[in-house]
Amino acid sequence: MNRSLEALLAGADVWRARGGGPGATACQPSGWPRLDAELPGGGWPLGTLIELLLPEPGIGELSLLLPALRALAVGPPGQARRWFAWVAPPHAPYPPALAQGGIAADRLLLISAVRMEDRLWALEQTLQSGHCAAVLAWLDRADDRWLRRLKLAAESGQTLTVLFRPRHQQAGGSPASLRLALEPAAAGLDLMVLKRRGGGPVRVHDVLGA
Amino acid sequence: MAPRQALRGRAGTRPADDRTGDLFGVVPSPPPPPVAPPPRTAPAPRQLWLAVQLTALPLVVVAADTRPRVVVAGEGGVRTLVACNAAALRAGLATGLALNAARVRVPDLQFHERDPLLEQRQLARLARWAQGFTPLVSIEAPDALLLEVQGSLRLMGGLDALVQRATTGLRAQAQPVLIGIAPTPRAALWLARAGEARPVESQASLAGALAPLPLTVTRWPARTLQDCTRLGVATLGELRRLPREGLALRFSPALLDELDEAYGHRPAPRRRYVAPERFEQRLELPVELGSASALLPYCARLLAALEQYLRDRDRATATLMLMLLHRDLRPTCVRLGRVLPTATAVDWQGLLRERLGRAVLAAPVRALLLRSGPAVPAAGASGTLDGCGSGAALAEAEAFALLDRLRARLGEEAISGVCLVPEHRPEAAFRRLRPTPQASRALPGAPTALPATPRPLWLLALPEPLAERDGRPRHAGELQFEAGPERIESGWWEGDEALRDYYVARTLHGARLWIFRVRAGADARRWFLHGVFG
Repeated sequence: MNRSLEALLAGADVWRARGGGPGATACQPSGWPRLDAELPGGGWPLGTLIELLLPEPGIGELSLLLPALRALAVGPPGQARRWFAWVAPPHAPYPPALAQGGIAADRLLLISAVRMEDRLWALEQTLQSGHCAAVLAWLDRADDRWLRRLKLAAESGQTLTVLFRPRHQQAGGSPASLRLALEPAAAGLDLMVLKRRGGGPVRVHDVLGA
Repeated sequence: MAPRQALRGRAGTRPADDRTGDLFGVVPSPPPPPVAPPPRTAPAPRQLWLAVQLTALPLVVVAADTRPRVVVAGEGGVRTLVACNAAALRAGLATGLALNAARVRVPDLQFHERDPLLEQRQLARLARWAQGFTPLVSIEAPDALLLEVQGSLRLMGGLDALVQRATTGLRAQAQPVLIGIAPTPRAALWLARAGEARPVESQASLAGALAPLPLTVTRWPARTLQDCTRLGVATLGELRRLPREGLALRFSPALLDELDEAYGHRPAPRRRYVAPERFEQRLELPVELGSASALLPYCARLLAALEQYLRDRDRATATLMLMLLHRDLRPTCVRLGRVLPTATAVDWQGLLRERLGRAVLAAPVRALLLRSGPAVPAAGASGTLDGCGSGAALAEAEAFALLDRLRARLGEEAISGVCLVPEHRPEAAFRRLRPTPQASRALPGAPTALPATPRPLWLLALPEPLAERDGRPRHAGELQFEAGPERIESGWWEGDEALRDYYVARTLHGARLWIFRVRAGADARRWFLHGVFG
């Protein structure tokens, strides 16, 4: 790439379909190099919706997020408390394991809401508050209108927002900026990037593998 | 000695074992106890104290249950029982016992952490109730009330009638108590703790009534009580027979002071319990309203009045109760709470909108009644208007305001935080708690040593039995072992339920599970699923 092209690309009036430049959101590296290479901005986008589609819970979806959560837990010194909110998880997250992963127990906020309407409302509230470092939410069904509201709420802050949805909801579209389908594999997880900013679908093999 | 006698002054009363006052012939044999300073003064205005000693206050947090339940207190491994329900007592448990020991005797023991805040609230509630008997009610922390009833005797139709009414009222509140009655507050308390319910109405019979009480009623420090035992002293009477100078040398001055207070040789003024200030205002609606959201503008008026009231006094409150008054039905109560107290009407409006926005009214509302919780001094953290709180404190307050909003709609139980507990058994290694700024300061992030081997990110609430074939566990097909065994045992004193070998196993679908095999006991050699690595 020659210098004049670089200069052109660095200008604010050129929007690049892929990678950084103006319009790119802040990102948190996922901690998995093979995945980061495929994610625009080199990590999980903050302040927008990320959707992970799962065949069943417990296949490694939390391990996938753990390095990013750990990095967010450190945060700048003197910063006010930022919660790690868990909205309607299928089981109780186990605090000693999270502490092993570097996430202090006093930051955890467990929110249970049986009715889907309450669950979405709680999610919207936590996103709008701007007091959450990360919000993890389990939604077995959510209509498009709600997802758009959530996306708006997410865009008001810099929260890592991950929605876990069942795999069979892959068919319906989604306003999420990043959509991944997860599949267990011999050495960890196979990821299918279904939707990303400025890029087509791509498969990433054995993400959690050594 | 001289200053003490001077102190007695007018308030001093005539001690019972004063030879000259032996009108009732109840004074024990000579020699005269050297402990009592000789009386010099005229009798003070007569007082009569009713002590109400709550015997199971910590249990107020515990649901009634036919199974053994206890309340425990203390840190980490040395938690001891502070209260037991009837079933626990029948099972041979007693307060003071270590939790570990208790669980050996009663393997399925239900236990709760002590909640001092709840106890204080309960005691304050009882104090307000007791103010129906006498204006002078004093709280004896942590678990007793003292009522001066001399002035109310005539009104209540005599002592017997008063005691009858008080015990009936306490029984109705399901609060087990012991009662003592004496001319001095401390004596009444000690009699109550000893279970001596017979009233001691006169100063003359007081010493005789106190003499047989064991020293444990004083709740003096364990060392003091041990020293007394070593001296061969087991009762108050025996203690008072010792030379006063010796006692003064041997024990702290507080001990002599308390003795003198109990026997009425030293005035014992009591702080009157004053119920905290509260805001209360009623608003009649111009027309009966049937929709909850139509009430909001009227609520806003009440909240503005509340804000004015609190600001005038430089106060704030953390709880509100809004009563919706109907024509025929009982009022509907709407309770709102915040983690941090506030005076600002807007803070409350948001919570109220969440609550009322979804509510379906049982009947049309004709009036509103807004009542605040205790008005506490407005601290820096609540100074949201003038910015007197620091930036960090302000942000912290806002982080907790999120929880207030969530609770207002989802309910108190729906939101919880967690803390780690130093326990070997995986399921006991954490506890849910209500997140408050205080709680998280008291429990810094990771106070305990973390396990050396990886733990699953999900833990099942209860271990789930696994299917087996040829002695191998299955979970939606064959399981493949990846790591283990890790032996987890919490020791024989915990019972045999936690002798387990843990393994990491992988399902055909790729989920990694944390499973264990029980080593001994009823479930020996059986496999259970306990967690998912996720």
